[in-house]
Amino acid sequence: MNGAQTPEWERLAENQSRLAFGLAVGELARRDRRVVAISADTIDLFGLRGFLEANPDRLIEAGIAEQNAMGIASGLATTGMRPILCGYAPFITARSLEQLRNDVAYANQRVVIGAACGGIVLAMAGGTHHAVEDLAIMRNMPNMTVIVPADARQTWHAALQTEQLDGPSYIRLGGKFAEPPVSDSAGDFRIGRADLMRPGGDVTVIACGCLVAPAIAAADALAKAGIGVRVLNMHTIKPLDRDAVLAAAAETGAIVTAEEHRITGGLGGAVAEILAQEQPTRMRMIGMPDEFAIVGPTARVREHYGLSQTAIMDACRALLA
Amino acid sequence: MTSNFQAKIEGLQYDALQIRRNVWRALHGAGSGHMGGSSSAADLLAALYFHYLRQRPDEPEWPGRDRFVLSKGHANAALGAALARAGFIDDSVLDQFYAYQSSFGMHPDIKMPGVEMSTGGLGHGLSVGLGMALGARMQNLDFRTCVMLGDGELQEGSNWEGAMAAAHLRLSNLTAILDYNKVQQSGRVGEMLALEPMADKWLSFGWAVREIDGHDMGAIVEALDALPFAPDKPSMIIAHTVKGKGVGFAEDSYLWHNNLVTDEVYERALNELGAPE
Repeated sequence: MNGAQTPEWERLAENQSRLAFGLAVGELARRDRRVVAISADTIDLFGLRGFLEANPDRLIEAGIAEQNAMGIASGLATTGMRPILCGYAPFITARSLEQLRNDVAYANQRVVIGAACGGIVLAMAGGTHHAVEDLAIMRNMPNMTVIVPADARQTWHAALQTEQLDGPSYIRLGGKFAEPPVSDSAGDFRIGRADLMRPGGDVTVIACGCLVAPAIAAADALAKAGIGVRVLNMHTIKPLDRDAVLAAAAETGAIVTAEEHRITGGLGGAVAEILAQEQPTRMRMIGMPDEFAIVGPTARVREHYGLSQTAIMDACRALLA
Repeated sequence: MTSNFQAKIEGLQYDALQIRRNVWRALHGAGSGHMGGSSSAADLLAALYFHYLRQRPDEPEWPGRDRFVLSKGHANAALGAALARAGFIDDSVLDQFYAYQSSFGMHPDIKMPGVEMSTGGLGHGLSVGLGMALGARMQNLDFRTCVMLGDGELQEGSNWEGAMAAAHLRLSNLTAILDYNKVQQSGRVGEMLALEPMADKWLSFGWAVREIDGHDMGAIVEALDALPFAPDKPSMIIAHTVKGKGVGFAEDSYLWHNNLVTDEVYERALNELGAPE
């Protein structure tokens, strides 16, 4: 930060990606008269109350009706509007999946989908409210850009950069608690380009979202033991930064992936698909197993499934053994 | 009825006949297809494309154009026939139904000139059309949006989310046209999952509703000319139609929802429709 003043958006976001996204909606709307927010009873989840009061005609409340909300977004986009759909990750990817596939992805409309409470942010709520298959689903949508920002700062920049996309995009967000900042506010973030968080030559951890901070902590801890761990923040799941993956495989020879998602079809799957064909490399995948997750406090349930610094360190050691 | 109006109606009836003939032509080329729902919609499509919709076939992306969404996408043969007759696509495209790398598949593809939305999955068009109507209102554009619904697809709950929202948002620039042919893939709609009372449902959702005979061209034109039916409500035209209209052996039967079209079937169908003058 070099002593520069904290930007207002960052102060207001309080290290919560869902609020950073809502603030970015306001910024995008200021820049472009075509931007319109669509809520699925999610105004406060995205901190859009102020936006609504200042721009009552720029927010469409679709109610608890995700199918209709997704169709509306597509229809608006065909007229040249820039709809930003603000939904819950578990509902907007599952309840309205056919609308998302047909009306948005197949018809290739510029709809930005903000998906709050991704992963097991709502662990206490039970399996109905977990979104641990959303990345697998969204990654299988042609035309779709899929982003899992690691913190509120990246969320702000990711949302603003959707202006440059020609097709639909999906941004997975957190919930109503602070996420530790791992990037800087200046915004070196680029959609589709992995961030090198730590250099290292022995093993690479490719992480996204809330697993980036534990990956960095794991690398710092292992560095003290003389193990060089490269950490890539793979915030863009699609298009995946193939060059960064292949370079990591060639230069470190071992890859750990870490994500708050089932290990089938998400970040780990995307990395494995490239490596299996281009450069077979020993891997460990950290993520959720093929079962519906237990209920509990989010932090405790993350520990339960090994979404942790300890599990990442263990996986690195196992690959080096 | 003035002679001008009568001449207009006769012209549209001729357009509808051409749409029906080209539906069977396209299906014959493909070997099969959805003749039932394509034929029931033909008069409505003729009135839309050759009387009501303000469009520029040589400028299909003209921002001021009226939007039409075929929510019952399986009637794409009829839409293609209308688009070809209107000049959006070349007539030869009608011989490419289902063909390798064709833009003219079973269901509408937004990449085809004149097609506003890719449809086929049922229960999508109303929400998309709602978004288009909102887009017009938010940008102070005066284009109108029409969505053609099938009756069977109203069994999809998403339609009723859209019905609720369109009325809540007072979208008088949105019109739904129900091709109410009362037959779906596996039987009669009323026996599969009943939808009556149809008009009451839409009225209770806050729409302005008119019921017409969907094969009475004069009634169709009068209904379209009366849009919007209320200044602050979306409009619904419930058009009572006959599945497979125009070809006796295919009329009002679920067996002709989607069926094979052999040379013999094609010849019989054209004979029943009658030759163009």
